[in-house]
Amino acid sequence: MRKFESVGRLVFVIWLVSFASSAHAHSTVKGVGDLYAGLLHVLTALEHVLPFVALSLLAGQRGLKAQAEAVLLVFPVALMIGAAAALWVPPIPGLAFFNVASAILLGGLVAAAWPLPGAVFYGLVILFGISHGFANGEAISGSIKAYLFILGTGLAGLAILAYGTLMVDFLLGRKASWIPIAVRVAGSWIAAIGVLVLATTGRTMLAS
Amino acid sequence: MIASTGRRFILAGAARWAAFAYWLFAPAIAFAHVGQGDVSGGFIAGLEHPVMGLDHVVAMVAVGIWGAQLRAPAIWVLPVTFPLVMSFGGILGGLGVPIPGIEIGIAVSAIVLGAMVAFAARPPLWIAGVIVGVFAIFHGYAHGAELPESANAISYAMGFVMATGGLHALGILIGVINKWPAGEKCLRAGGVLIALCGVYFLFSHFIGG
Repeated sequence: MRKFESVGRLVFVIWLVSFASSAHAHSTVKGVGDLYAGLLHVLTALEHVLPFVALSLLAGQRGLKAQAEAVLLVFPVALMIGAAAALWVPPIPGLAFFNVASAILLGGLVAAAWPLPGAVFYGLVILFGISHGFANGEAISGSIKAYLFILGTGLAGLAILAYGTLMVDFLLGRKASWIPIAVRVAGSWIAAIGVLVLATTGRTMLAS
Repeated sequence: MIASTGRRFILAGAARWAAFAYWLFAPAIAFAHVGQGDVSGGFIAGLEHPVMGLDHVVAMVAVGIWGAQLRAPAIWVLPVTFPLVMSFGGILGGLGVPIPGIEIGIAVSAIVLGAMVAFAARPPLWIAGVIVGVFAIFHGYAHGAELPESANAISYAMGFVMATGGLHALGILIGVINKWPAGEKCLRAGGVLIALCGVYFLFSHFIGG
């Protein structure tokens, strides 16, 4: 009896699975592609991902509950403001250079593990949020729905920052003494990557 | 009963090792993306660069082992500062600032670092930092000067820094055996080998040149 039941279940599952292809039919929600375009424009560009990760490490080092909770709101909003500003403000020369430099500064601060005053920390969060948002907003062209693209940019920032900050905050709560050092080493790697990038392509970035 | 518990423990240990070995080799699967685009191509090139040159490998591993011998705080000061100083060397290399005798400097770095490990030398932290820092500039310079034109700079640098850090970590892990008297002797013997590698690099540089 039981055997029949399980065969029945198997048939049911196969029947369900055979319908999986119809789940791809998302075309009814038109225009959502631009949201993904905004998300992916950030997530597929290391020059944005690396500084964002560094910022998340820095926020995690400060401790989420105590001092850094607001960063999860401030940074995505700053990103979206920056991206929206790019719709009106003409392209800023040397912005790519500045954005890579942000990875060096943020990574260096993580490596130093030096407690930053809140005002300085949030100042950097807003400054780099706007600068990276602006660089992403410059990609909005033609038929792209700006508001969806900008929302996607903000969501990408939120995703990286939330995952990184929560992870570091959780890990630093453990007892193992190597964890804070591993976080600092990660910061030092990000800073070193930024320096090497500027060393090799900095002049082209400044010219563009 | 005790024997069976022991055997079960050994089996659990073996399973753990198998999982670890799988984890070690699994990245080979993840590398199968080279053809997909510039980013991963640059990353692989960067990752390979420090690992493919034996002169870099022995020096980086020596830094890790020496750090482990020096214990805290050197064990973490060296891996935190090395990438930063090395990237400064990368700037000099990338800008084409002439530094003569880079290859000699790299060979000498293996000799000196190998000797430090062999003698289990314990200089003050700042002297250890200066020694490692000077060699970090040589290594970074060589990497910066050899950056392939076609590589995506950021993914190349990422692979390159991660590979270098991985070699340090390898040295630190090898240095764990320093806890046991026999392990300490093994490490020091390893230092002699590293220094001999350096002598070979130096020798082949002059013969080859």
